[in-house]
Amino acid sequence: MTTLRENPLLRYHLLGATRHRWRRQPWLYGAAVLGVGLVYLLVLQLTVYSEAGIDATLGLALFVMCLAAPLMAYNMFSSEYEKQTWESLALTRLTAPEIFWGKYGAALARVALTTLLFAPFLLTTHRANTYTIAAAFAVLFGWGALLVSVGLWLSFKLKRTLTTASVLYAGQVFVLLLFPLLYLLFSDGTVDKQILHAAENYEEGFYTWIIILFNGTFIIFLNPFYVASQLERLGVPPVWWWGADEWDGYATGLHYVLWGFAQGGMYLGLGALFAGFTLRGIKYSWRK
Amino acid sequence: MLDVQGLRKEYGELVAVRDIRFQLYPGDVFGFIGPNGAGKTTTIKMLATLLEPTAGTATLNGIDIVRHPEEVRPLLGYMPDFFGLYEGITVTEYLEFFAAAYRIPKAQRAAIIDNVLELTDLTVKKDAYVETLSRGMQQRLCLAKSLVHDPILLLLDEPASGLDPRARIEIKELIRELGAMGKIVLVSSHILPELADFCNKIGIIEKGELLVWGAVDEIVAQLQANRVLEIKPLGEPDALIQRLERESHVHGVETRNGSLYVHFAGGLEEQADLLAALIRDGFRIAAFREESLDLEDVFMQITKGEVS
Repeated sequence: MTTLRENPLLRYHLLGATRHRWRRQPWLYGAAVLGVGLVYLLVLQLTVYSEAGIDATLGLALFVMCLAAPLMAYNMFSSEYEKQTWESLALTRLTAPEIFWGKYGAALARVALTTLLFAPFLLTTHRANTYTIAAAFAVLFGWGALLVSVGLWLSFKLKRTLTTASVLYAGQVFVLLLFPLLYLLFSDGTVDKQILHAAENYEEGFYTWIIILFNGTFIIFLNPFYVASQLERLGVPPVWWWGADEWDGYATGLHYVLWGFAQGGMYLGLGALFAGFTLRGIKYSWRK
Repeated sequence: MLDVQGLRKEYGELVAVRDIRFQLYPGDVFGFIGPNGAGKTTTIKMLATLLEPTAGTATLNGIDIVRHPEEVRPLLGYMPDFFGLYEGITVTEYLEFFAAAYRIPKAQRAAIIDNVLELTDLTVKKDAYVETLSRGMQQRLCLAKSLVHDPILLLLDEPASGLDPRARIEIKELIRELGAMGKIVLVSSHILPELADFCNKIGIIEKGELLVWGAVDEIVAQLQANRVLEIKPLGEPDALIQRLERESHVHGVETRNGSLYVHFAGGLEEQADLLAALIRDGFRIAAFREESLDLEDVFMQITKGEVS
Protein backbone atom coordinates (compact mmCIF):
# COMPACT_ATOMS: atom_id res chain seq x y z
CA MET A 1 0.00 0.00 0.00
CA THR A 2 1.32 3.40 -0.96
CA THR A 3 1.55 6.24 1.50
CA LEU A 4 -1.03 9.00 1.28
CA ARG A 5 1.53 11.31 -0.34
CA GLU A 6 2.27 8.81 -3.10
CA ASN A 7 -1.39 8.09 -3.80
CA PRO A 8 -1.84 9.13 -7.47
CA LEU A 9 -5.58 9.58 -7.06
CA LEU A 10 -5.13 11.96 -4.15
CA ARG A 11 -2.53 13.92 -6.11
CA TYR A 12 -4.85 14.08 -9.10
CA HIS A 13 -7.81 15.31 -7.08
CA LEU A 14 -5.79 17.79 -5.08
CA LEU A 15 -3.39 19.11 -7.69
CA GLY A 16 -3.69 17.28 -11.01
CA ALA A 17 -6.39 19.16 -12.82
CA THR A 18 -6.31 22.28 -10.66
CA ARG A 19 -2.80 23.50 -11.35
CA HIS A 20 -3.31 23.54 -15.11
CA ARG A 21 -6.47 25.61 -14.80
CA TRP A 22 -4.35 28.48 -13.57
CA ARG A 23 -1.90 28.10 -16.43
CA ARG A 24 -4.63 27.87 -19.05
CA GLN A 25 -6.89 30.68 -17.87
CA PRO A 26 -4.78 32.89 -15.59
CA TRP A 27 -6.95 35.99 -16.07
CA LEU A 28 -10.22 34.23 -15.33
CA TYR A 29 -8.94 32.50 -12.22
CA GLY A 30 -6.91 35.52 -11.17
CA ALA A 31 -10.02 37.72 -11.37
CA ALA A 32 -12.07 35.15 -9.45
CA VAL A 33 -9.48 34.93 -6.68
CA LEU A 34 -9.19 38.68 -6.50
CA GLY A 35 -12.97 39.09 -6.25
CA VAL A 36 -13.38 36.40 -3.63
CA GLY A 37 -10.37 37.74 -1.74
CA LEU A 38 -11.78 41.25 -1.61
CA VAL A 39 -15.18 40.02 -0.41
CA TYR A 40 -13.41 37.89 2.20
CA LEU A 41 -11.45 40.84 3.56
CA LEU A 42 -14.51 43.09 3.52
CA VAL A 43 -16.61 40.58 5.47
CA LEU A 44 -13.75 39.98 7.91
CA GLN A 45 -13.46 43.70 8.52
CA LEU A 46 -17.23 43.95 9.05
CA THR A 47 -17.31 41.12 11.59
CA VAL A 48 -14.38 42.59 13.50
CA TYR A 49 -15.78 46.12 13.60
CA SER A 50 -19.30 45.05 14.42
CA GLU A 51 -17.95 42.94 17.31
CA ALA A 52 -19.77 39.88 16.01
CA GLY A 53 -20.30 37.03 18.43
CA ILE A 54 -19.62 33.34 17.83
CA ASP A 55 -23.20 32.79 16.67
CA ALA A 56 -22.60 35.22 13.80
CA THR A 57 -19.07 34.20 12.81
CA LEU A 58 -19.66 30.47 13.14
CA GLY A 59 -23.07 30.90 11.47
CA LEU A 60 -21.42 32.63 8.53
CA ALA A 61 -18.71 29.95 8.31
CA LEU A 62 -21.36 27.21 8.49
CA PHE A 63 -23.40 28.87 5.77
CA VAL A 64 -20.38 28.88 3.45
CA MET A 65 -19.54 25.29 4.43
CA CYS A 66 -23.12 24.19 3.65
CA LEU A 67 -22.76 25.66 0.19
CA ALA A 68 -19.18 24.65 -0.53
CA ALA A 69 -18.75 21.18 1.03
CA PRO A 70 -21.20 19.38 -1.31
CA LEU A 71 -19.16 20.68 -4.24
CA MET A 72 -16.06 19.03 -2.79
CA ALA A 73 -17.48 15.51 -3.02
CA TYR A 74 -20.57 15.43 -5.21
CA ASN A 75 -18.80 14.20 -8.35
CA MET A 76 -15.98 12.17 -6.86
CA PHE A 77 -17.39 8.81 -7.94
CA SER A 78 -20.25 9.84 -10.20
CA SER A 79 -17.83 11.44 -12.66
CA GLU A 80 -15.92 8.14 -12.77
CA TYR A 81 -19.15 6.48 -13.87
CA GLU A 82 -20.29 9.28 -16.15
CA LYS A 83 -16.93 9.58 -17.89
CA GLN A 84 -16.47 5.79 -17.96
CA THR A 85 -13.14 5.91 -16.15
CA TRP A 86 -14.03 3.71 -13.18
CA GLU A 87 -13.21 0.44 -14.94
CA SER A 88 -9.69 1.59 -15.73
CA LEU A 89 -9.27 2.74 -12.15
CA ALA A 90 -10.68 -0.48 -10.72
CA LEU A 91 -8.21 -2.55 -12.73
CA THR A 92 -5.14 -0.77 -11.37
CA ARG A 93 -3.25 -2.08 -8.38
CA LEU A 94 -4.69 0.60 -6.12
CA THR A 95 -6.49 -1.05 -3.24
CA ALA A 96 -10.00 -0.11 -2.12
CA PRO A 97 -8.65 1.94 0.85
CA GLU A 98 -6.23 3.74 -1.49
CA ILE A 99 -9.01 4.64 -3.91
CA PHE A 100 -11.21 5.68 -1.02
CA TRP A 101 -8.56 7.83 0.65
CA GLY A 102 -7.51 9.28 -2.69
CA LYS A 103 -10.96 10.78 -3.00
CA TYR A 104 -12.02 11.22 0.62
CA GLY A 105 -8.59 12.60 1.55
CA ALA A 106 -8.89 15.27 -1.14
CA ALA A 107 -12.39 16.19 0.00
CA LEU A 108 -11.36 16.33 3.67
CA ALA A 109 -8.32 18.44 2.80
CA ARG A 110 -10.64 20.96 1.13
CA VAL A 111 -12.94 20.96 4.16
CA ALA A 112 -9.89 21.58 6.37
CA LEU A 113 -8.79 24.40 4.08
CA THR A 114 -12.25 25.99 4.23
CA THR A 115 -12.19 25.66 8.02
CA LEU A 116 -8.78 27.34 8.09
CA LEU A 117 -10.05 30.14 5.87
CA PHE A 118 -12.56 30.94 8.59
CA ALA A 119 -9.96 30.83 11.35
CA PRO A 120 -9.46 34.64 11.26
CA PHE A 121 -13.23 35.10 11.70
CA LEU A 122 -13.48 32.67 14.60
CA LEU A 123 -10.30 33.89 16.28
CA THR A 124 -11.41 37.52 16.20
CA THR A 125 -14.89 36.73 17.51
CA HIS A 126 -16.05 39.08 20.20
CA ARG A 127 -16.53 37.59 23.69
CA ALA A 128 -15.00 34.24 22.75
CA ASN A 129 -12.76 32.03 24.80
CA THR A 130 -10.64 28.98 24.09
CA TYR A 131 -13.60 26.66 24.61
CA THR A 132 -15.96 28.41 22.21
CA ILE A 133 -13.32 28.88 19.53
CA ALA A 134 -12.16 25.27 19.71
CA ALA A 135 -15.78 24.05 19.76
CA ALA A 136 -16.57 26.27 16.77
CA PHE A 137 -13.70 24.68 14.81
CA ALA A 138 -14.95 21.22 15.81
CA VAL A 139 -18.51 22.02 14.65
CA LEU A 140 -17.38 23.64 11.40
CA PHE A 141 -14.93 20.89 10.41
CA GLY A 142 -17.25 18.14 11.67
CA TRP A 143 -20.20 19.44 9.65
CA GLY A 144 -18.03 19.80 6.53
CA ALA A 145 -16.63 16.29 7.02
CA LEU A 146 -20.17 14.90 7.40
CA LEU A 147 -21.29 16.63 4.22
CA VAL A 148 -18.38 15.30 2.14
CA SER A 149 -18.82 11.81 3.62
CA VAL A 150 -22.49 11.74 2.68
CA GLY A 151 -21.63 13.34 -0.67
CA LEU A 152 -19.02 10.69 -1.42
CA TRP A 153 -21.41 7.89 -0.53
CA LEU A 154 -24.27 9.37 -2.57
CA SER A 155 -21.92 9.95 -5.48
CA PHE A 156 -20.92 6.28 -5.31
CA LYS A 157 -24.45 4.95 -4.92
CA LEU A 158 -26.38 7.25 -7.27
CA LYS A 159 -23.67 7.42 -9.96
CA ARG A 160 -25.07 10.72 -11.19
CA THR A 161 -23.46 14.06 -10.39
CA LEU A 162 -26.55 16.21 -10.70
CA THR A 163 -28.69 13.85 -8.64
CA THR A 164 -26.02 13.73 -5.94
CA ALA A 165 -25.76 17.51 -5.77
CA SER A 166 -29.55 17.88 -5.68
CA VAL A 167 -29.93 15.32 -2.89
CA LEU A 168 -27.13 16.93 -0.87
CA TYR A 169 -28.55 20.44 -1.06
CA ALA A 170 -32.17 19.36 -0.67
CA GLY A 171 -31.14 17.13 2.24
CA GLN A 172 -29.59 20.09 4.01
CA VAL A 173 -32.77 22.11 3.56
CA PHE A 174 -34.69 19.27 5.21
CA VAL A 175 -32.24 18.65 8.03
CA LEU A 176 -31.39 22.26 8.83
CA LEU A 177 -34.69 23.97 8.17
CA LEU A 178 -37.75 21.82 7.58
CA PHE A 179 -37.20 19.20 10.29
CA PRO A 180 -36.55 21.85 13.00
CA LEU A 181 -39.68 23.70 11.82
CA LEU A 182 -41.62 20.47 12.03
CA TYR A 183 -40.31 19.94 15.57
CA LEU A 184 -41.31 23.46 16.57
CA LEU A 185 -44.74 22.91 15.08
CA PHE A 186 -45.31 20.05 17.51
CA SER A 187 -43.69 21.76 20.51
CA ASP A 188 -45.61 25.03 20.54
CA GLY A 189 -42.71 26.84 18.99
CA THR A 190 -40.36 26.34 21.93
CA VAL A 191 -37.27 24.24 22.49
CA ASP A 192 -37.15 22.54 25.86
CA LYS A 193 -33.66 23.37 27.09
CA GLN A 194 -34.27 22.30 30.70
CA ILE A 195 -32.39 19.09 30.11
CA LEU A 196 -29.25 21.06 29.38
CA HIS A 197 -29.46 22.84 32.73
CA ALA A 198 -29.42 19.59 34.63
CA ALA A 199 -25.90 18.34 33.88
CA GLU A 200 -23.59 19.05 36.77
CA ASN A 201 -20.64 16.90 35.73
CA TYR A 202 -19.34 15.19 32.59
CA GLU A 203 -20.96 11.85 33.43
CA GLU A 204 -24.36 13.53 33.69
CA GLY A 205 -23.53 15.36 30.49
CA PHE A 206 -22.99 12.01 28.78
CA TYR A 207 -26.35 10.68 30.00
CA THR A 208 -27.99 13.92 28.93
CA TRP A 209 -26.89 13.16 25.38
CA ILE A 210 -28.31 9.65 25.58
CA ILE A 211 -31.67 11.12 26.58
CA ILE A 212 -31.48 13.80 23.88
CA LEU A 213 -30.81 11.20 21.19
CA PHE A 214 -33.95 9.28 22.21
CA ASN A 215 -36.33 12.23 22.07
CA GLY A 216 -37.05 14.63 19.27
CA THR A 217 -34.81 17.41 20.55
CA PHE A 218 -31.78 16.01 18.77
CA ILE A 219 -33.26 17.56 15.62
CA ILE A 220 -32.61 20.92 17.21
CA PHE A 221 -29.56 20.20 19.35
CA LEU A 222 -27.63 18.63 16.48
CA ASN A 223 -28.41 21.50 14.13
CA PRO A 224 -25.05 23.27 13.68
CA PHE A 225 -26.67 26.71 13.47
CA TYR A 226 -28.43 26.10 16.77
CA VAL A 227 -25.12 24.89 18.19
CA ALA A 228 -23.58 28.20 17.14
CA SER A 229 -26.38 30.20 18.73
CA GLN A 230 -25.95 28.43 22.08
CA LEU A 231 -22.16 28.58 21.98
CA GLU A 232 -22.61 32.30 22.44
CA ARG A 233 -23.80 31.53 25.98
CA LEU A 234 -20.42 29.99 26.70
CA GLY A 235 -18.60 32.98 25.29
CA VAL A 236 -17.80 34.53 28.64
CA PRO A 237 -14.70 33.36 30.47
CA PRO A 238 -15.49 30.35 32.69
CA VAL A 239 -14.41 29.98 36.29
CA TRP A 240 -11.06 28.49 35.36
CA TRP A 241 -10.36 31.16 32.79
CA TRP A 242 -8.52 34.14 34.32
CA GLY A 243 -10.53 33.94 37.50
CA ALA A 244 -13.85 35.35 36.35
CA ASP A 245 -17.08 33.77 37.52
CA GLU A 246 -19.76 34.68 35.06
CA TRP A 247 -21.17 31.38 33.83
CA ASP A 248 -24.78 30.78 34.79
CA GLY A 249 -26.36 27.38 35.36
CA TYR A 250 -27.32 26.93 31.74
CA ALA A 251 -23.81 27.70 30.52
CA THR A 252 -22.40 25.25 33.05
CA GLY A 253 -24.82 22.63 31.79
CA LEU A 254 -23.72 23.34 28.21
CA HIS A 255 -20.14 22.99 29.30
CA TYR A 256 -20.77 19.58 30.89
CA VAL A 257 -22.55 18.24 27.80
CA LEU A 258 -19.46 19.42 25.90
CA TRP A 259 -21.64 21.62 23.77
CA GLY A 260 -20.07 22.01 20.34
CA PHE A 261 -17.42 19.34 20.82
CA ALA A 262 -20.06 16.66 21.28
CA GLN A 263 -21.90 17.71 18.12
CA GLY A 264 -18.62 17.98 16.20
CA GLY A 265 -17.76 14.47 17.36
CA MET A 266 -21.18 13.17 16.35
CA TYR A 267 -20.86 14.73 12.89
CA LEU A 268 -17.48 13.04 12.54
CA GLY A 269 -18.91 9.75 13.78
CA LEU A 270 -21.78 9.91 11.32
CA GLY A 271 -19.34 10.91 8.61
CA ALA A 272 -17.19 7.89 9.44
CA LEU A 273 -20.26 5.70 9.08
CA PHE A 274 -20.98 6.96 5.56
CA ALA A 275 -17.29 6.78 4.72
CA GLY A 276 -17.39 3.15 5.84
CA PHE A 277 -20.37 2.49 3.55
CA THR A 278 -18.43 3.96 0.63
CA LEU A 279 -15.31 1.94 1.36
CA ARG A 280 -17.38 -1.22 1.64
CA GLY A 281 -19.11 -0.35 -1.65
CA ILE A 282 -15.78 -0.02 -3.45
CA LYS A 283 -14.63 -3.35 -2.07
CA TYR A 284 -17.73 -5.20 -3.22
CA SER A 285 -18.79 -3.39 -6.39
CA TRP A 286 -15.30 -2.99 -7.80
CA ARG A 287 -14.20 -6.40 -6.57
CA LYS A 288 -11.24 -4.87 -4.73
CA MET B 1 -1.94 -18.72 -21.77
CA LEU B 2 -5.60 -17.76 -21.41
CA ASP B 3 -7.82 -20.75 -20.71
CA VAL B 4 -11.52 -19.96 -20.63
CA GLN B 5 -13.50 -22.77 -19.02
CA GLY B 6 -17.26 -22.74 -19.31
CA LEU B 7 -17.77 -19.06 -18.61
CA ARG B 8 -21.41 -18.25 -18.01
CA LYS B 9 -23.30 -15.13 -17.01
CA GLU B 10 -26.96 -14.98 -16.11
CA TYR B 11 -29.07 -11.96 -15.27
CA GLY B 12 -32.16 -13.54 -13.75
CA GLU B 13 -33.82 -15.46 -16.56
CA LEU B 14 -31.57 -14.02 -19.20
CA VAL B 15 -28.47 -15.99 -20.09
CA ALA B 16 -26.05 -13.39 -21.46
CA VAL B 17 -23.13 -15.77 -21.95
CA ARG B 18 -23.46 -19.58 -22.20
CA ASP B 19 -20.59 -21.77 -21.11
CA ILE B 20 -17.92 -20.28 -23.32
CA ARG B 21 -14.65 -22.19 -23.76
CA PHE B 22 -11.50 -21.33 -25.67
CA GLN B 23 -7.75 -21.18 -25.24
CA LEU B 24 -5.35 -18.53 -26.43
CA TYR B 25 -1.56 -18.50 -26.45
CA PRO B 26 1.06 -15.72 -26.50
CA GLY B 27 1.06 -14.01 -29.89
CA ASP B 28 -2.56 -14.91 -30.64
CA VAL B 29 -4.74 -12.11 -31.91
CA PHE B 30 -8.25 -13.35 -31.31
CA GLY B 31 -11.14 -11.69 -33.09
CA PHE B 32 -14.28 -11.94 -31.03
CA ILE B 33 -17.09 -11.45 -33.48
CA GLY B 34 -20.79 -11.18 -32.96
CA PRO B 35 -23.74 -8.92 -33.52
CA ASN B 36 -24.60 -6.21 -31.01
CA GLY B 37 -26.03 -7.81 -27.87
CA ALA B 38 -24.43 -11.17 -28.52
CA GLY B 39 -22.47 -11.20 -25.25
CA LYS B 40 -19.04 -9.96 -26.36
CA THR B 41 -18.75 -7.13 -23.84
CA THR B 42 -20.10 -9.29 -21.00
CA THR B 43 -17.49 -11.95 -21.78
CA ILE B 44 -14.71 -9.37 -21.94
CA LYS B 45 -15.82 -7.79 -18.67
CA MET B 46 -15.76 -11.19 -17.00
CA LEU B 47 -12.26 -11.82 -18.33
CA ALA B 48 -11.26 -8.34 -17.14
CA THR B 49 -12.44 -9.33 -13.62
CA LEU B 50 -14.98 -6.50 -13.62
CA LEU B 51 -17.94 -8.84 -13.67
CA GLU B 52 -18.25 -12.04 -11.67
CA PRO B 53 -19.34 -15.04 -13.78
CA THR B 54 -22.39 -17.01 -12.68
CA ALA B 55 -20.49 -20.19 -13.43
CA GLY B 56 -17.21 -21.27 -14.96
CA THR B 57 -13.94 -19.47 -14.80
CA ALA B 58 -10.82 -18.61 -16.76
CA THR B 59 -7.17 -18.77 -15.91
CA LEU B 60 -4.46 -16.46 -17.11
CA ASN B 61 -1.06 -18.10 -16.82
CA GLY B 62 -2.64 -20.44 -14.31
CA ILE B 63 -4.18 -17.72 -12.12
CA ASP B 64 -7.92 -18.00 -11.63
CA ILE B 65 -9.70 -14.78 -12.59
CA VAL B 66 -12.66 -15.48 -10.31
CA ARG B 67 -10.79 -16.45 -7.17
CA HIS B 68 -7.80 -14.13 -7.54
CA PRO B 69 -8.91 -11.05 -9.47
CA GLU B 70 -6.34 -8.85 -7.74
CA GLU B 71 -3.51 -11.07 -8.97
CA VAL B 72 -4.82 -11.19 -12.51
CA ARG B 73 -5.41 -7.45 -12.91
CA PRO B 74 -1.73 -6.48 -13.19
CA LEU B 75 -1.41 -9.01 -16.01
CA LEU B 76 -4.14 -7.61 -18.19
CA GLY B 77 -4.79 -4.43 -20.09
CA TYR B 78 -8.38 -3.46 -20.81
CA MET B 79 -9.78 -0.95 -23.22
CA PRO B 80 -13.57 -0.61 -22.88
CA ASP B 81 -15.86 0.18 -25.79
CA PHE B 82 -16.90 3.45 -24.16
CA PHE B 83 -14.10 5.03 -22.27
CA GLY B 84 -13.24 8.34 -20.71
CA LEU B 85 -10.04 10.03 -19.71
CA TYR B 86 -9.08 12.09 -16.70
CA GLU B 87 -9.25 15.62 -17.99
CA GLY B 88 -7.26 18.72 -17.18
CA ILE B 89 -3.91 16.94 -17.31
CA THR B 90 -1.37 16.33 -20.07
CA VAL B 91 -0.85 13.05 -21.91
CA THR B 92 2.37 12.38 -19.97
CA GLU B 93 0.70 13.14 -16.63
CA TYR B 94 -2.16 10.84 -17.54
CA LEU B 95 0.24 7.98 -18.20
CA GLU B 96 2.21 8.84 -15.05
CA PHE B 97 -1.02 8.54 -13.09
CA PHE B 98 -1.60 5.02 -14.34
CA ALA B 99 2.07 4.06 -14.00
CA ALA B 100 1.87 5.10 -10.35
CA ALA B 101 -1.46 3.31 -9.93
CA TYR B 102 0.17 0.13 -11.26
CA ARG B 103 3.01 0.64 -8.79
CA ILE B 104 5.72 1.00 -11.39
CA PRO B 105 8.81 2.30 -9.55
CA LYS B 106 9.29 6.04 -9.97
CA ALA B 107 12.73 5.66 -11.52
CA GLN B 108 11.37 3.50 -14.36
CA ARG B 109 8.25 5.49 -15.18
CA ALA B 110 9.74 8.06 -17.56
CA ALA B 111 11.40 5.43 -19.77
CA ILE B 112 8.28 3.25 -19.86
CA ILE B 113 6.06 6.21 -20.72
CA ASP B 114 8.42 7.23 -23.53
CA ASN B 115 8.31 3.69 -24.94
CA VAL B 116 4.54 3.48 -24.76
CA LEU B 117 4.13 6.91 -26.35
CA GLU B 118 6.43 5.86 -29.17
CA LEU B 119 4.58 2.58 -29.68
CA THR B 120 1.24 4.34 -29.88
CA ASP B 121 2.68 7.17 -31.96
CA LEU B 122 1.75 9.83 -29.43
CA THR B 123 5.21 11.23 -28.66
CA VAL B 124 4.44 14.52 -30.42
CA LYS B 125 1.37 14.93 -28.23
CA LYS B 126 3.00 14.18 -24.89
CA ASP B 127 2.50 17.72 -23.57
CA ALA B 128 -0.99 18.15 -25.02
CA TYR B 129 -3.98 18.23 -22.72
CA VAL B 130 -5.91 14.98 -22.81
CA GLU B 131 -9.23 16.57 -23.71
CA THR B 132 -7.73 18.37 -26.71
CA LEU B 133 -6.82 15.11 -28.47
CA SER B 134 -8.88 13.83 -31.38
CA ARG B 135 -11.05 10.76 -30.87
CA GLY B 136 -8.47 8.54 -32.59
CA MET B 137 -5.66 9.88 -30.45
CA GLN B 138 -7.71 9.46 -27.30
CA GLN B 139 -8.29 5.86 -28.36
CA ARG B 140 -4.55 5.40 -28.74
CA LEU B 141 -3.96 7.08 -25.38
CA CYS B 142 -6.43 4.67 -23.78
CA LEU B 143 -4.49 1.82 -25.35
CA ALA B 144 -1.21 3.38 -24.19
CA LYS B 145 -2.62 3.52 -20.66
CA SER B 146 -3.46 -0.19 -20.92
CA LEU B 147 0.15 -0.94 -21.88
CA VAL B 148 2.14 0.97 -19.22
CA HIS B 149 2.31 -2.05 -16.93
CA ASP B 150 3.29 -4.40 -19.79
CA PRO B 151 0.29 -6.77 -19.59
CA ILE B 152 0.35 -10.24 -21.13
CA LEU B 153 -3.33 -10.15 -22.08
CA LEU B 154 -5.00 -7.24 -23.84
CA LEU B 155 -8.78 -7.03 -23.91
CA LEU B 156 -9.90 -4.53 -26.51
CA ASP B 157 -13.63 -4.00 -26.76
CA GLU B 158 -14.54 -2.46 -30.12
CA PRO B 159 -11.24 -0.56 -30.33
CA ALA B 160 -11.94 0.97 -33.71
CA SER B 161 -15.49 2.11 -33.13
CA GLY B 162 -16.09 5.73 -33.98
CA LEU B 163 -12.76 6.18 -35.72
CA ASP B 164 -12.13 7.61 -39.17
CA PRO B 165 -10.60 5.27 -41.82
CA ARG B 166 -7.05 6.46 -41.20
CA ALA B 167 -7.31 6.02 -37.44
CA ARG B 168 -8.81 2.56 -38.00
CA ILE B 169 -5.84 1.51 -40.10
CA GLU B 170 -3.44 2.88 -37.48
CA ILE B 171 -5.12 1.02 -34.65
CA LYS B 172 -5.12 -2.20 -36.71
CA GLU B 173 -1.38 -1.82 -37.29
CA LEU B 174 -0.87 -1.27 -33.60
CA ILE B 175 -2.84 -4.39 -32.65
CA ARG B 176 -0.88 -6.46 -35.17
CA GLU B 177 2.33 -5.14 -33.63
CA LEU B 178 1.15 -6.04 -30.12
CA GLY B 179 0.44 -9.59 -31.26
CA ALA B 180 3.92 -9.75 -32.78
CA MET B 181 5.31 -8.66 -29.40
CA GLY B 182 3.95 -11.90 -27.94
CA LYS B 183 0.91 -10.53 -26.17
CA ILE B 184 -2.42 -12.32 -26.19
CA VAL B 185 -4.82 -9.86 -27.79
CA LEU B 186 -8.57 -10.33 -27.67
CA VAL B 187 -10.35 -7.85 -29.93
CA SER B 188 -14.09 -7.66 -30.14
CA SER B 189 -15.97 -6.15 -33.00
CA HIS B 190 -19.15 -6.49 -34.97
CA ILE B 191 -17.45 -5.12 -38.07
CA LEU B 192 -15.83 -8.06 -39.84
CA PRO B 193 -13.41 -6.40 -42.26
CA GLU B 194 -11.88 -4.75 -39.21
CA LEU B 195 -10.79 -8.10 -37.83
CA ALA B 196 -10.17 -10.08 -41.00
CA ASP B 197 -6.81 -8.45 -41.63
CA PHE B 198 -4.98 -9.05 -38.41
CA CYS B 199 -6.57 -11.89 -36.42
CA ASN B 200 -5.05 -15.34 -36.53
CA LYS B 201 -7.93 -16.78 -34.51
CA ILE B 202 -11.58 -15.93 -34.34
CA GLY B 203 -14.56 -16.80 -32.24
CA ILE B 204 -18.09 -16.18 -33.36
CA ILE B 205 -20.61 -15.53 -30.63
CA GLU B 206 -24.34 -15.27 -31.01
CA LYS B 207 -27.04 -15.20 -28.38
CA GLY B 208 -24.39 -15.70 -25.72
CA GLU B 209 -23.12 -18.89 -27.31
CA LEU B 210 -19.69 -19.31 -28.85
CA LEU B 211 -20.73 -20.98 -32.10
CA VAL B 212 -17.25 -21.60 -33.41
CA TRP B 213 -13.69 -20.68 -32.53
CA GLY B 214 -10.24 -21.47 -33.83
CA ALA B 215 -7.71 -20.47 -36.45
CA VAL B 216 -9.29 -18.46 -39.27
CA ASP B 217 -8.05 -20.86 -42.00
CA GLU B 218 -9.32 -23.92 -40.15
CA ILE B 219 -12.78 -22.48 -39.68
CA VAL B 220 -12.99 -21.48 -43.33
CA ALA B 221 -11.81 -24.96 -44.37
CA GLN B 222 -14.43 -26.61 -42.12
CA LEU B 223 -17.17 -24.54 -43.66
CA GLN B 224 -15.95 -25.15 -47.15
CA ALA B 225 -16.48 -28.93 -46.95
CA ASN B 226 -19.29 -28.23 -49.36
CA ARG B 227 -17.42 -25.96 -51.74
CA VAL B 228 -18.75 -23.91 -54.61
CA LEU B 229 -16.99 -24.05 -57.98
CA GLU B 230 -17.43 -21.31 -60.51
CA ILE B 231 -17.25 -22.58 -64.12
CA LYS B 232 -17.51 -20.18 -67.05
CA PRO B 233 -18.23 -22.12 -70.24
CA LEU B 234 -17.86 -20.81 -73.77
CA GLY B 235 -21.17 -21.10 -75.60
CA GLU B 236 -24.51 -22.48 -74.34
CA PRO B 237 -24.29 -24.01 -70.87
CA ASP B 238 -27.20 -26.48 -71.11
CA ALA B 239 -25.14 -29.46 -72.19
CA LEU B 240 -22.54 -28.69 -69.55
CA ILE B 241 -25.23 -28.48 -66.85
CA GLN B 242 -26.60 -31.90 -67.87
CA ARG B 243 -23.08 -33.31 -67.82
CA LEU B 244 -22.34 -31.85 -64.40
CA GLU B 245 -25.56 -33.19 -62.90
CA ARG B 246 -24.44 -36.72 -63.72
CA GLU B 247 -21.36 -36.29 -61.48
CA SER B 248 -21.75 -37.97 -58.08
CA HIS B 249 -20.02 -35.11 -56.14
CA VAL B 250 -22.22 -32.43 -57.62
CA HIS B 251 -25.26 -31.51 -55.51
CA GLY B 252 -26.62 -28.66 -57.55
CA VAL B 253 -25.86 -26.17 -60.28
CA GLU B 254 -26.93 -22.53 -60.42
CA THR B 255 -26.54 -20.15 -63.31
CA ARG B 256 -25.64 -16.50 -62.69
CA ASN B 257 -24.26 -13.95 -65.12
CA GLY B 258 -23.21 -16.58 -67.64
CA SER B 259 -21.30 -18.60 -65.07
CA LEU B 260 -22.25 -21.89 -63.45
CA TYR B 261 -21.97 -22.22 -59.68
CA VAL B 262 -21.54 -25.85 -58.82
CA HIS B 263 -22.11 -27.16 -55.27
CA PHE B 264 -19.37 -29.71 -55.03
CA ALA B 265 -18.82 -32.19 -52.17
CA GLY B 266 -15.44 -33.58 -53.27
CA GLY B 267 -11.92 -32.63 -52.32
CA LEU B 268 -9.13 -31.14 -54.44
CA GLU B 269 -8.42 -34.47 -56.19
CA GLU B 270 -12.03 -34.84 -57.30
CA GLN B 271 -12.07 -31.20 -58.35
CA ALA B 272 -9.04 -31.75 -60.63
CA ASP B 273 -10.62 -34.95 -62.02
CA LEU B 274 -13.84 -33.08 -62.84
CA LEU B 275 -11.98 -30.40 -64.80
CA ALA B 276 -10.00 -33.05 -66.72
CA ALA B 277 -13.20 -34.99 -67.51
CA LEU B 278 -15.01 -31.89 -68.80
CA ILE B 279 -12.15 -31.01 -71.12
CA ARG B 280 -11.88 -34.61 -72.25
CA ASP B 281 -15.61 -34.56 -73.09
CA GLY B 282 -15.04 -31.56 -75.34
CA PHE B 283 -16.46 -28.75 -73.20
CA ARG B 284 -14.68 -25.44 -73.71
CA ILE B 285 -14.03 -23.92 -70.29
CA ALA B 286 -12.94 -20.27 -70.07
CA ALA B 287 -12.66 -20.18 -66.28
CA PHE B 288 -12.73 -22.80 -63.53
CA ARG B 289 -12.16 -21.71 -59.96
CA GLU B 290 -13.17 -22.45 -56.43
CA GLU B 291 -15.18 -19.72 -54.81
CA SER B 292 -13.40 -19.06 -51.52
CA LEU B 293 -15.13 -17.95 -48.34
CA ASP B 294 -14.03 -14.85 -46.49
CA LEU B 295 -14.75 -13.95 -42.89
CA GLU B 296 -18.04 -12.37 -43.84
CA ASP B 297 -19.23 -15.53 -45.55
CA VAL B 298 -18.17 -17.55 -42.53
CA PHE B 299 -20.07 -15.22 -40.25
CA MET B 300 -23.19 -15.29 -42.40
CA GLN B 301 -23.13 -19.09 -42.62
CA ILE B 302 -22.74 -19.58 -38.89
CA THR B 303 -24.95 -16.91 -37.37
CA LYS B 304 -28.67 -16.32 -37.53
CA GLY B 305 -28.67 -12.69 -36.43
CA GLU B 306 -30.14 -13.36 -32.99
CA VAL B 307 -29.28 -11.63 -29.75
CA SER B 308 -29.44 -13.00 -26.21
